Amino acid sequence: MRIPLILRIGALVLATTGFYTYVGQMVPQKEVLPPRESTIGPGMTTDDMVRIGREIMEGKGLCLTCHTIGKTSGPLRFPDLAGVDSRAKTRVAGLNDVEYFAQSLYEPTAFVVPGFPPAMPPINKPPIGLTDQEILCVIAYLQTLGGTPTVTLETKHHYYGGGK
Amino acid sequence: MTQSVPRKLIILLALVAGLVTIAGTGRILHAQTPAPQAGAPAQDQSKPYTEAEYRTFPKVGSRVAIWAVAQLHLLFAAFVLAVPIFAFIIEVIGYKTGDLRYDRLAYEFTKLLSVSFSLTATFGAALTFMLIVLYPKFTNYLMSVFSPTFLPYVLLFFAEAFFLYTYYYGWGKFHPLLHLGLGLGLNLVGTAIMFIANAWLTFMMSPHGVSDAGAVLSLKDAIFNPTWMPINVHRVIANVAFGGSIAGAYAAFKFLQAETDEERAHYDWMGYIGNFVAISAFLPLPFAGYWLAKEIYAFSQTLGLTMMGGAFSWLFIIQAVLIGNLFLAANYYLWLGMGRVEGQQPLQKFIKYLLVAVTLCFMVWATPRSIIATVSEIRAMGGSAHPILGYLGVMSAKNTAVNILILTTFMSFLLYRRTGKVAAVPWAKKGHTAQLAIFALVALFVIFLGVYGYFVEATVRIKLSVPQVLSVLFAMISITAIDVFLFRGARRTGEVRWGHIPPISQYVLIFIAVTFTWLMGLMGYVRSGLRQHWHVYGVIRDRSVDAFTPTLGFATKVVSVTVLLFFLLIGVVFWISSLHDRPDFRRVKGSDDLSPEQTGAHGHDPRHARV
Repeated sequence: MRIPLILRIGALVLATTGFYTYVGQMVPQKEVLPPRESTIGPGMTTDDMVRIGREIMEGKGLCLTCHTIGKTSGPLRFPDLAGVDSRAKTRVAGLNDVEYFAQSLYEPTAFVVPGFPPAMPPINKPPIGLTDQEILCVIAYLQTLGGTPTVTLETKHHYYGGGK
Repeated sequence: MTQSVPRKLIILLALVAGLVTIAGTGRILHAQTPAPQAGAPAQDQSKPYTEAEYRTFPKVGSRVAIWAVAQLHLLFAAFVLAVPIFAFIIEVIGYKTGDLRYDRLAYEFTKLLSVSFSLTATFGAALTFMLIVLYPKFTNYLMSVFSPTFLPYVLLFFAEAFFLYTYYYGWGKFHPLLHLGLGLGLNLVGTAIMFIANAWLTFMMSPHGVSDAGAVLSLKDAIFNPTWMPINVHRVIANVAFGGSIAGAYAAFKFLQAETDEERAHYDWMGYIGNFVAISAFLPLPFAGYWLAKEIYAFSQTLGLTMMGGAFSWLFIIQAVLIGNLFLAANYYLWLGMGRVEGQQPLQKFIKYLLVAVTLCFMVWATPRSIIATVSEIRAMGGSAHPILGYLGVMSAKNTAVNILILTTFMSFLLYRRTGKVAAVPWAKKGHTAQLAIFALVALFVIFLGVYGYFVEATVRIKLSVPQVLSVLFAMISITAIDVFLFRGARRTGEVRWGHIPPISQYVLIFIAVTFTWLMGLMGYVRSGLRQHWHVYGVIRDRSVDAFTPTLGFATKVVSVTVLLFFLLIGVVFWISSLHDRPDFRRVKGSDDLSPEQTGAHGHDPRHARV
């Protein structure tokens, strides 16, 4: 029995879309939720800030979409952050690590690490839009990469509160 | 009787569809209307007016409902915008050469337009109403920014209807130049409509001309936002590729239905032209895609990296599978087409090398940077990237693969073009050598840049794609230019026998059309989904329950359902278009009833005969 043409074409269309749907199920499945608002409040210790800073870097801050921590092989798209605090202390004359990190986050094109594109967006503005306190937490975490965290929620830098 | 059964079935299906629509509308209204409370009229009167931010579409949710309707609207719109472009070009060729076959072909393409135009407008209206109902606050914002563009849009839409219907119904009724003028008008107006709509959607992705809080500072800047022109160019090219593939599928369907050699010859030729249009437009499409991606990165690195390195990076592996399939299928169709030409074809021996090149490039392009593996597998590999294959999953290798893929497909076209012909110009040997030299040098240059990319910093590596693209474009243009002169007055070694092609070639055309459609659905998703939890990126936040980005598996299911709906509807378009050629209905003598008996074309009950 010869299968009617319309059925043959229908089967081909179904099989093709079915195949592509199957390919779609084979890749990693990840649902990306909108960023959670972090709970930063008075009385938070530096250790708490480090923990929240890491969460922000992985989530709302989108930092680890571009940066790596401890990548040892292959080309880098943006600077690797392993040991970044030790470099931050001397990278720009006149800026200590906290001021350097603040400058990198609020005004990222003011100094660009040689060999990398001037591509980082200001983190305090949309679409990322971290608050001053969230940025302090990120700085606290960055200080743990090659150094010791010193910032608290009372720490002030040049960019804090719309400064600079 | 046999005719009345499907008619009854269609009426029944239409009734069921109508009832489902009414029931669905009722459900939405019911879901949005709070139940009245007895004994509280005074409270009702003092109830303040509150503006809804979102409303919910039953069962599938607002996002999926908007997604499906927008996708269907875009697919039909793409078809309606694309067909006039190549119908017009084919008509011009017919006018210039005086070959009536071209005129008939252009008319056959145009026949598909009028029903598709109605469906495009219907889905456009459905999309607008659904946006107003389901996302009122956001829609209101877009209206406040773009309201000055709405009246021109509507007026252009009227103009498009005028041009389309006069172009179609006026076929053969006007002076050819006047008719071509109508076709040109149709194309210009259609493109202008698309450009206006593109301003709205690109603004959502790369807003410009507004303050941080969303206040309009400059409508001109909002329209000329960073991704507007790249999307305009990308869509014009992609629409032509997509329209060509759907027209090719129509021809394939008619070929498989054909009962005479003449019909088969015509539809084989039509399918070839449709596929030629599709693949010709498809070859430069990745270059337009590069430009768009570059502008996205330039507008926001975050957006660019979300696309290529974040939540959507694996989507490009699916895209690679689709595009690889398109290239394979397009090449296979061309190779099958070489059999149309009488006699042994010496060029066919090159096919196996082209097949090897296409397959290798496909494999490189579809290699992911990191792979899904168990903990022990990752430990054994020394990371999520394979120690050897991982090097093929980076942009240096992928850019090289896609450029070689384009060059190879171009060579397939060239081989097909010269099948059954021998160049007769005195400089033929030099011409062939020059072509081969350009091809080899460009291929080597592209591969060299790909390898070089592994040894330089990111800032240098990113820029290497530009000379790769430009050199491939140079090869395509210069080799074609030489070919045109080389084969002028060429000696024929065998005639092209249209219709003499294996039936599987027609299924390949349908496969190409489905793959194109699916690809458009997927890339439409990434363009829109890229904004993630923003309606207007960085300006208007999405606070609805659908603000999350779904899994790729879910997205591909929605794309597939939409594609199937589209093909169901395009089947209806083909069927309605084919009614035009159907024999007229005839009253049986001695009976009061209209009989389904049919005569030959234009059967002759005066009430039904066409004038």
